[in-house]
Amino acid sequence: MTGYILKRLVSAIPVLFGISIIVFVIMAMIPGDPATAILGSYATPDNVEKLNRDLGLDKPMVQRYFIWLGNMLQGDFGRSFSLNRAVLDEVLDRFGATLVLAGTAFVLCSLLGVAAGVVSAARQYGLADKAITFAVLLGISIPSFFLGMMMILIFAVKLRWFPVSGMWPIYGARDLSALISHLTLPALALAVVATGVIARLSRSAMLEVLRQDFIRTARAKGVHERSVVWRHALRAAMVSIIPVLGVQAGFVLSGAVYIEMVFQWPGVGRMLVDAILKRDILLVQGGVVFVAACYVMFNIAVDVAQSLLDPRIKT
Amino acid sequence: MKLLKLSRRAMLAAGAATALALSPLLAQAQTPEDVLIVGQIAEPKALDPAAVTAVNDFRILMNVYDGLVRYKDGTLEVEPSLANSWDISEDGTVYTFSLRDDVTFHDGSAFNADAVKFNFDRMLDENHPYHNTGPFPLSFFFSAVENVEVVNDLTVRFTLNAPYAPFLSNLAYPTGLIVSPAAVEQHGAEFGRNPSGTGAFKFAEWRSNEAVVIEANADYWDGAPELQAVVFRPITDANTRTAEMLAGGIDLMVEVPPVALSEFQGDTYTIHEQAGPHVWFLILNAKEGPFADVRVRQAANYAINKEAIVNDVLEGTAAVAAGPTPPAFAWAYNESLEPYPYDPDKARELLAEAGAEGAELTFYVTEGGSGMLDPVAMGTAIQADLQSVGLTVNIETYEWNTFLGEVNPGLEGKADMAEMAWMTNDPDTLPFLALRTASWPDQGGFNSGYYSNPKVDELLEAARAATDQTERARLYQEMQVIVQEDAPWVFVANWKQNAVTSDRVENFSLQPSFFLLLDDVVKN
Repeated sequence: MTGYILKRLVSAIPVLFGISIIVFVIMAMIPGDPATAILGSYATPDNVEKLNRDLGLDKPMVQRYFIWLGNMLQGDFGRSFSLNRAVLDEVLDRFGATLVLAGTAFVLCSLLGVAAGVVSAARQYGLADKAITFAVLLGISIPSFFLGMMMILIFAVKLRWFPVSGMWPIYGARDLSALISHLTLPALALAVVATGVIARLSRSAMLEVLRQDFIRTARAKGVHERSVVWRHALRAAMVSIIPVLGVQAGFVLSGAVYIEMVFQWPGVGRMLVDAILKRDILLVQGGVVFVAACYVMFNIAVDVAQSLLDPRIKT
Repeated sequence: MKLLKLSRRAMLAAGAATALALSPLLAQAQTPEDVLIVGQIAEPKALDPAAVTAVNDFRILMNVYDGLVRYKDGTLEVEPSLANSWDISEDGTVYTFSLRDDVTFHDGSAFNADAVKFNFDRMLDENHPYHNTGPFPLSFFFSAVENVEVVNDLTVRFTLNAPYAPFLSNLAYPTGLIVSPAAVEQHGAEFGRNPSGTGAFKFAEWRSNEAVVIEANADYWDGAPELQAVVFRPITDANTRTAEMLAGGIDLMVEVPPVALSEFQGDTYTIHEQAGPHVWFLILNAKEGPFADVRVRQAANYAINKEAIVNDVLEGTAAVAAGPTPPAFAWAYNESLEPYPYDPDKARELLAEAGAEGAELTFYVTEGGSGMLDPVAMGTAIQADLQSVGLTVNIETYEWNTFLGEVNPGLEGKADMAEMAWMTNDPDTLPFLALRTASWPDQGGFNSGYYSNPKVDELLEAARAATDQTERARLYQEMQVIVQEDAPWVFVANWKQNAVTSDRVENFSLQPSFFLLLDDVVKN
């Protein structure tokens, strides 16, 4: 097992190396440079040249790449031009906020999605199934940023049940209840689409299982219907539901970008959008490499977990 | 059946539990008394006035720092601040300031002539021990400064390499605000997050991406402020900012989108408007193509319905511009200047005279950008107006940074016209950088349309060298008449900055400088 993990970790190195090159080249190729972005209307060629020199951007591209890479390998991601702060501090702060939002949304969509799918399947073509199918279709079809805005309008502006934006209250305790009140709307808005997808796939996975012989056997033995559905059938269906959850985790994390914009959540997605618009090269590069590294680690962890759970997967 | 029953019960229970858990939160806390919460458009870069360039950052800085001079309330005219008075030498190259003796920085260190010298040397002298706390992108505002001398503890002398009339105005600009040398020495590159000045408020806390908090400076030399504290919240999305204002999460919102203004009608809110030193114009390529002919440039000015743009596209958040200088520079503005009227027939006539009917034009439009208002909608309206007098206009749209990269090096060989907007602090800045022959792009200026008129060059050079304001005003006013006639640009709009306050906020007014001054504001 240790050998398998090591092998996977080693294979991640060229991936991250490739990502660092791609993001560096993209940032170097897109028109507009940080000096122009900082100086705005005052970006005369002289001023731009001087500022680029001050920012260390006057060196050849290859040299800049290796300086950046070398520093990064020593844990120095550089300083953000637009925030005047160490890139790693900013990325860590922001990534934590994204994890809270995306993590909550993921738990929500997994629980709700699977539950809705199971109920739907258990009562195929019944009223509950039809209602859930309708709701799911609606959920999948609404763009999450639009849903977010509507939720703000109704629950924050009109009803004033929840705050409009942000992660913490400006005044008052930063405790769990404050976090929950700030988190509810964005997490729901983010969870809706994934909930729909998970519900649909759970429903078909369950229908598949419910048709199988062992279910008929269980029923014939007089096992309680609730137990048949939630214990016997769901457990078997989870084998095909879990990979869907894995895909949706990635979807939720990337969908967080829109939700973070709408709800002004201080997450890494909003940070990257702002950084790109400001041509904050080091922040974009550092942020992308960090997030990519986390994805790679997450994938390795999932594979390892799967191989632990399912002995059929060779390590 | 049982299954459904159970899930229904479970859902009810879950719903009740959630409601119970949230019930203390449901009543949204009102913002506290005497603490003003301001909705900003972005996270500030730094609170070091020498290091930043954005109006968004200036809004905080102007409340934490003072300069040697400042703009008189409601004007763009300079009055004493940290300097009591000053003398200007006969030739306009030596400025001697006498400083107030009752000022200390928030960190307790004394404000004196050494502190002033430290500030300017840090920005301008590459060998200064704290020059590395930069970069200082707007240091060229003071590039005329040759040296700064400490005459005695409360007297400081600036020597310029040539007469430079905008010098005082630049000192009133955020780049000229005075920071505490002791704090710079203590925090080095982190000074921007640990600022210390002499202003009405002192820095309290910066929570990344959440808020910058400043607190009242009880010992402020110009009288302690009414508010206890001000919280600046970065809310980049304009819709979310509007929603926060409507929900009571912020007390003051700046840069209200035109379409959102109708939300704030009624007694609960006050809408503030203030014309600022801003001009939105089209650069016309006077070097080649149809716009090389002055009649075609004038025709464009007649053909575009500026009234419709400011009223319909911008919902009244701007006024029609008459010439290159915004009316906010009251002392330098030529009141007799009338905007080009909307007269498509006159435009067609001029086009026919110039033989430019049916000419095809390339028009650079930006998607956004500082001071650009609603550039795509405005560009489309302009395109339609020019089409209707028989010009074919092809729009090319660019993201702001890319756009600047295309426009600033000059339009030659690429385009006939381009959108542009400037906000400045002195009537000298824009025309000097964008209308003189010596400001063509190849000489490091912003005259991207290659306008050239020796008389205008002469007037602008003379105005920069003059130290007497009346004389400067006369020169600028004469320049405006000539430039309007030559029409190197289409003069479109002067933006009115806006803000909304809740009914708890009193004594607030916007400044023509676009700065946000909060020391007199009261919140109930």
